[in-house]
Amino acid sequence: MTGGGQTFLSIAEAGRLIAAKKLSPVELTRALLARVTAVDPQLNAFLLVTERQALAAARAAERAIAAGRRGPMLGIPLAYKDIYETAGIRTTAHSRILADNVPTEDAETVRRLHAAGAVMLGKLATHEFAIGGPAFDLPWPPARNPWDTRRFTGGSSSGSGAAVAAGLALGALGSDTGGSIRLPAAYCGIAGLKPTPGLVSRRGVIPLASSLDTAGPMAWTAQDCAILLDALAGHDPLDPASVQGPAVSYARAVEAPLKGLRIGLVRRFYEHDVPGSPEVLQMMTRAAATLRGLGCRVDEASLPPVQEYNAVGRVIISSEAYALHEATLKTRLSDFSRVFRVRVLAGALIRAADYIAAQRRRTDLIAETRRVLERFDVLIAPPTAGAAPLLTEQRPDDGFSRPLLTTVANVAAIPSLVVCGGFTATGLPLGLEIMGPAWGDAMVLRVGHQFEQAAGLRGRRPML
Amino acid sequence: MAAQPASTVPTISPAEMQILISRAGLVLNPGQMADLVLAWRQVAGLIAAIPQGRKLADDMALTFRLPPPADADAAARPVVSAAVKPTARSASKAAPRPQRKPAKKALPAKKASPVKTRTTRAKAAASPAKAAAKAKPKARTRRPALRGR
Repeated sequence: MTGGGQTFLSIAEAGRLIAAKKLSPVELTRALLARVTAVDPQLNAFLLVTERQALAAARAAERAIAAGRRGPMLGIPLAYKDIYETAGIRTTAHSRILADNVPTEDAETVRRLHAAGAVMLGKLATHEFAIGGPAFDLPWPPARNPWDTRRFTGGSSSGSGAAVAAGLALGALGSDTGGSIRLPAAYCGIAGLKPTPGLVSRRGVIPLASSLDTAGPMAWTAQDCAILLDALAGHDPLDPASVQGPAVSYARAVEAPLKGLRIGLVRRFYEHDVPGSPEVLQMMTRAAATLRGLGCRVDEASLPPVQEYNAVGRVIISSEAYALHEATLKTRLSDFSRVFRVRVLAGALIRAADYIAAQRRRTDLIAETRRVLERFDVLIAPPTAGAAPLLTEQRPDDGFSRPLLTTVANVAAIPSLVVCGGFTATGLPLGLEIMGPAWGDAMVLRVGHQFEQAAGLRGRRPML
Repeated sequence: MAAQPASTVPTISPAEMQILISRAGLVLNPGQMADLVLAWRQVAGLIAAIPQGRKLADDMALTFRLPPPADADAAARPVVSAAVKPTARSASKAAPRPQRKPAKKALPAKKASPVKTRTTRAKAAASPAKAAAKAKPKARTRRPALRGR
């Protein structure tokens, strides 16, 4: 660990120190802004730093604390993927198309966090409109992995993963349509939650594919994701997909021990469908042993092949993303990055019957996944077949040619958390994915938190 | 239901692809067209992997879950003169039954049922002032709209 100091605090730790008046939100915000200035030129995690607004919000939090207000998010500095609309602050979706877009209202999620006292540090890099891969033909460069800056962060919440891992923000907002929260969480060694659809409002979040999109938290630990989810979750009558979720405190739920839980190990995913590297296989063996050590019963679970979920997810995403952007593609085609065009233009050729077939098959897959989850409390699998690849190894058609393990949870409409499951011999993080039944967000966070506590992997940070 | 065999996706020649792209209103240069050919090969493979053969009656994919009608039952109720105070029993009889009782398992929480029960309607009709005083504003519960949006 180098040079992090206060900036490497978890949200839970910082919240406790702030509440005890041992840490000033202004001091913490200044430390993070200084680290952004020093480190971000290597990472390109931030598209925009909102220093003035951040310091004003931190001072307001400090006044509120002096007046006796308390809360786990009060004075906590965060940053948002640049598809979250922010009133009066540029929101670009990392695209030339929206380079001058200044929304007039905050996304509902942003509003909730600010109401809870959070401090916005700035807007974070993404893949263009949350689907393009790392692109070098856009006005802003792609984010780089803080564990090795030659490597990919994962995406599309690329800046969110890099910023949290590098200690540039204590938490971040991401979005996940096929794995966009969990892939950067895995490659950057942090925690990221794709919640149950409807639990977190998507109003004011620039969409990609509405039938699969979810908004969610990213942070250093599962416990921090739970604290963020407490602020984010809740019915939004202006989001047609929003649902009143269970009335629970996620932050409190994670404290419960795991003794007696039934864990399903989805071996076929990483031994057959998307074969994992030897280090991933070892990590899964160790993770299962750690969970057994916590009193869980770990048995093999059998789900349909990853390829089936992936085919359905990709056809839906391509169709819906193309429909969303068709008008702009007709008029400003060359303003999009090449990787965006490759991943979206094929949607123009997908027939309505094929899109409907994908939605029908999704119904089956939701039911089949639900049946398996009746026998287990959670399922575990790796989110990726290995550690972060080099940026130069990324191909524009990767989204189609390589099945994503993470897309299973999007298609099945279930919550899924990625936490750091281990490290390779070269020091790159490996993720562990924990999937639960719909509305089992508290359960996946609880398993993630207890696993992190037992595995003892949270003391290691990138050297920058 | 068990997956049916996947369909085969007809191949598209570059000339046919040009026609389809023109029909979509897009103008691609040769490099962009080459990228599209590359991507389409992958997408066609994904489409081919999705089972398509189903019985005609087995189509439930596109469902729209509308919120329960807030005032539909009031609109359906016969107009009652202000001078005649309805009894709880008559009010409950006049009110239509909820069209669909929400499945308990699918609900995320026990509270905040999206459909008023007959009992609560009857109580409200019997003593509107008391019911109004008791009533707390509840968040409307919606079912997840997973598809067909």
